[in-house]
Amino acid sequence: MARTSSFEPYLVDHLLRRAGFGCSLEEQRYFRKQGFDASLDELLNPEEVKNDKLEELLETTSFDFTDLGDLKRWWLYRMMFTRRPLEEKLCLFWHGHFATSNAGKVNNPYLMYQQNQRLRELGMGRFENLLLAVSKDPAMIIWLDNKDNRKGKPNENYAREIMELFTLGIGNYSENDIKEAARAFTGWTAPNGFYFNKKQHDFGEKSFLSEKGKFDGTDIVRILAARKETASFLARKLIKFFCMDKPEDAFVERVQNAYLKNSEQNIKAMLKEIFSSNEFKSEKSYHAKVKSPAEFVVGTMKALQVTKLDADLPSVMARMGQNLFEPPSVKGWDGGMSWIATDTLMERFNFAHRISMQKFDTKEGYINPEVLASQFSAASMSDMVDYFLSRLVDKDLPHGARRKLVEYALMGKDGAKLSGVPDPKTLDMKIRGLIHLIMTLPSYQLA
Amino acid sequence: MKLKRRNFLLSSGALLSASLSAEFLLSLSGSKKAALASGAPEQKILVLVQLSGGNDGLNSVVPYSNPAYLKLRPSIGIKPEQVLKINDKVGLNPHLAAFETLFKENKLSIIQGVGYPNPNRSHFRSIEIWQTAEPKKIKETGWLGRYIDLCRGGRKQDANVFPAINVDPILPKTLSAEHVVVPSISELDRFTFKTASEADRKFQLEAFQSIYEKYPLERPYVEELRRIGLDTTKASDRFAKLAAQSKSVHKYPNSKFGKQLQFIATLINGGVDCPVYNLSLSGFDTHTNEQNPHGKLLQTLSEGIGAFMQDLAQSNMDQNVLIMTFSEFGRRVAENGGRGTDHGTAAPVFLIGSGLKGGLVGEHPSLTDLDDGDLKHQIDFRCVYASILDRWFGADSQEVLGDKFDKLDLFKKT
Repeated sequence: MARTSSFEPYLVDHLLRRAGFGCSLEEQRYFRKQGFDASLDELLNPEEVKNDKLEELLETTSFDFTDLGDLKRWWLYRMMFTRRPLEEKLCLFWHGHFATSNAGKVNNPYLMYQQNQRLRELGMGRFENLLLAVSKDPAMIIWLDNKDNRKGKPNENYAREIMELFTLGIGNYSENDIKEAARAFTGWTAPNGFYFNKKQHDFGEKSFLSEKGKFDGTDIVRILAARKETASFLARKLIKFFCMDKPEDAFVERVQNAYLKNSEQNIKAMLKEIFSSNEFKSEKSYHAKVKSPAEFVVGTMKALQVTKLDADLPSVMARMGQNLFEPPSVKGWDGGMSWIATDTLMERFNFAHRISMQKFDTKEGYINPEVLASQFSAASMSDMVDYFLSRLVDKDLPHGARRKLVEYALMGKDGAKLSGVPDPKTLDMKIRGLIHLIMTLPSYQLA
Repeated sequence: MKLKRRNFLLSSGALLSASLSAEFLLSLSGSKKAALASGAPEQKILVLVQLSGGNDGLNSVVPYSNPAYLKLRPSIGIKPEQVLKINDKVGLNPHLAAFETLFKENKLSIIQGVGYPNPNRSHFRSIEIWQTAEPKKIKETGWLGRYIDLCRGGRKQDANVFPAINVDPILPKTLSAEHVVVPSISELDRFTFKTASEADRKFQLEAFQSIYEKYPLERPYVEELRRIGLDTTKASDRFAKLAAQSKSVHKYPNSKFGKQLQFIATLINGGVDCPVYNLSLSGFDTHTNEQNPHGKLLQTLSEGIGAFMQDLAQSNMDQNVLIMTFSEFGRRVAENGGRGTDHGTAAPVFLIGSGLKGGLVGEHPSLTDLDDGDLKHQIDFRCVYASILDRWFGADSQEVLGDKFDKLDLFKKT
C-alpha cells in the first residue's frame, strides 16, 4: 500500500488538481464522498458522465469560433464547468504535445477549434487513431508545412517533428528516415479540409525504420505508433504532465507496458497506471509540480466559487506564460520552473489581488467573503485562516507561515488586535486580504 | 510616465532594508559607481529595436542621385530636394531629422545593404532568421538568448541583476535562452505588487515579506519560488522608486514606442544592472500608399531615439549604451501598383551610440544589378552581430553564432 501519510485527507483533492483543474466546493464534497478509487474510475470514463450543463452553457453563450479570443474563452469555460475534468486536462496535454499555434502560419481560429475537438474526442483512445487524425488535421498540415510537401520537392518539417516531438523522441531515427517519411507524406494537403493530392504523392518504395514498402502517411503513422520508443516517450511525458517531473525508469516502464499491452496503444490504460500508482499517491508527487497558468487560474476560480469568467482571462494567462492556442514553439510548454520568472510570478500575485478584491454592485458570480465565511462555522479568526488554508493549500505550509497569517488576520485597522469575529466590514477586508496572501504562498504555486 | 506611488514596500522602508544585502545597497547607487568601486569594467548595454513588418530601406537611406531610384519608384520615391543629404550618393528620409543630427555628431552608423544568402520573404520565417541568426534551419534559441546563457552560466538570478529585459508584451525569439528566463516588463503598473485598502496595506506587506523571508517546506521548487518571489517584489519596488525619481524632461514621442524608450532610459539611468533591452516598433508592412505612414514611423523612430540619447547623455550613460535597429527584410526596389512596396531583401541597419565611430559602413547595394528585382546584400547580418558580441560585449561571437564572421570596424578606441 502506498505511503499516503500526511496528505491522506487531501488525496482526492490531489487527484482533482492533477486529473483536472482543482475543484469547487460542490465537486470536492461529491468526489470525497466517492473516495479515490471511484473518483478515478469516473474521471477515466468521461463518456459515461453527462455533460449537458456545460453544453447548455456553451450554447447560450454563443461563441464565434472564427474569433481567437472567443475560442480561448470557450476553452476556459470548458475547463471551468465540465463534469469531465480529465477529458479536458488531457486535451490540454495533447495541445502541448502536438503544439500548434494559430500565430504565424495557421491564422485561422476555426481550424484550431477543429483540431482541439479532435484532440478531445480521440485523446483517451488508441494512439494510432489520434496520430493519424493529427497528421490529417488541416491546422497541423499548415503549421508544419506539409501542404508544401510535394513529390520531388519534399518539405521535411512534418516528417521530422512527428518523430522528434510526437512519437520516438530525438536519437531514435536517422536523417534518412526523415527523408523517407517525408516522401510518404507527400500530397497530404488541406486546401479546404484534408485532401490527398495524388498528383503530388510519391508512390514509390520507401525504406523506413528497417521496413520497406510503398508507404504513405498512414503506414508511417502505423509504424511509429507501434514502436516501443513511442510508448516510452509518451509514458515519460504523460507522467511528467500528470504526476511528477523526475520519474524513475521502472515507473516509466510500467506505464509504457500499459501502452504496449496487446498492442492496444491505449492512452486510458496509461493514465490508469499513472493515477493508481503508488508513486502518484506518495510524497514524491504530492505538491511536487509547479501549477501551470491554466491550473492556477481555473483552480482558483473553482476554489473561490467565482463563476464569472472575465473576458481578459486568456490574456492574463498569456502574461503568466500560457497563451492557449498559441504555444511558444513546436515543443509546446516546458512546464516546471519555466512557468516562474519575475514577470510571470508578479502576474500570479496580481491575479491573486484581482480575484480576491473584485467588488461589484452585483456580487453574483464574483468572490463573496460573506458567503465563503458562512460555509463553515468559525468561532475565531484563526479558525478562518485554517479553513482557507485547508481549502487552498491543503494546509501544506510551514508552521511559521501559518502563524504569520493568523497574526495578519488578527490585526485591526489601527494595529489593535481583533478579538472574536470582527464586524462585517472588517471581516470582509480581512478575508479578502487573507485569500490574497494565501495565493501568493509558494505552496499555492504547487499542484 | 504614469505611476502609482502606492507601490510595494514603499511605505515600509525599514522592513525592506532589513532584508537587503550590502551588495544590493551598494549597487543601488548606480552600477557605474558600484563598478568603479569594485574595479570592474563598466557594463555595456545593447538596446535592440525590432522594426516589425519589413522596413523599406530604400526610402530610409535614399540613393537620391541614382537615376534608377526615381525611375523604379515614380510615385513613392523621395525627391532629391527633400532628402537630408549625407554625401553625393545617399541621404536620409526627411522624417529622420533627429538621425541627421546624430549622424553629424558621429553617433550614428549606417550599415548598408545588410541581409543574408537565399533570403526568405515570409515575415514569420525571415524575422525568425534574424532573431536566431540561423538562416538554414529552425533554431529554438535567439542570438542574444545564447549570449545571455553564456555570460550567466550557473549564476543565480537576483533582483538586481537582470539577464535582459523585454519591454514588449511578447518575448521575441531573440531573447529565447536555454537556461535563463527573460522577463517581459511592458508596463510598470503591471509590474507592481498591488494590495487592498490603504488601511490594511502595511500589514499585508509585512505578512508577505516575513513569510517569504523563511519558508521551510520540504517540497521541490519551494526554495526557488521563495527566492524569485522576493526578487520580484524587490525589483518591482526598485523600478517604482526609479520611475518616481526620474526627472526626464526630454521630449519623447507621445506613443507606445516613446514610453518604452523612456522606461528603458529610467532603468539605465537608475543603474539597473541589465545588459540587454528589447523593444519593437511595428507597422512597417507598407504594401499600399506607403509614403505617409512610413514617414511617420521613421519620425517616431528617430525622435524617440534622439530623446533617448539626450536622456542618457545627461547622466553620462550614453557611452555605455548601443542601440541597434533591424527588420526582417527591406522592400522590393520597384514600387508596386498600389503606391507601396512588397517584401524584399537587404536593408540598412542603424546603430546609435556615443561609443561608435559613426558614418556610413559599406557600399549601398546596386539598383541595377538585382536578384530577381531585389537588392543583393552587401554585409551578412551575422557580421553585425559578431562585431557587437566581440567588440561591444567582449564576448566570443563564434560560440554564440556557431561560426566565424568578419567583424566591422564600428567602435571608437577606448
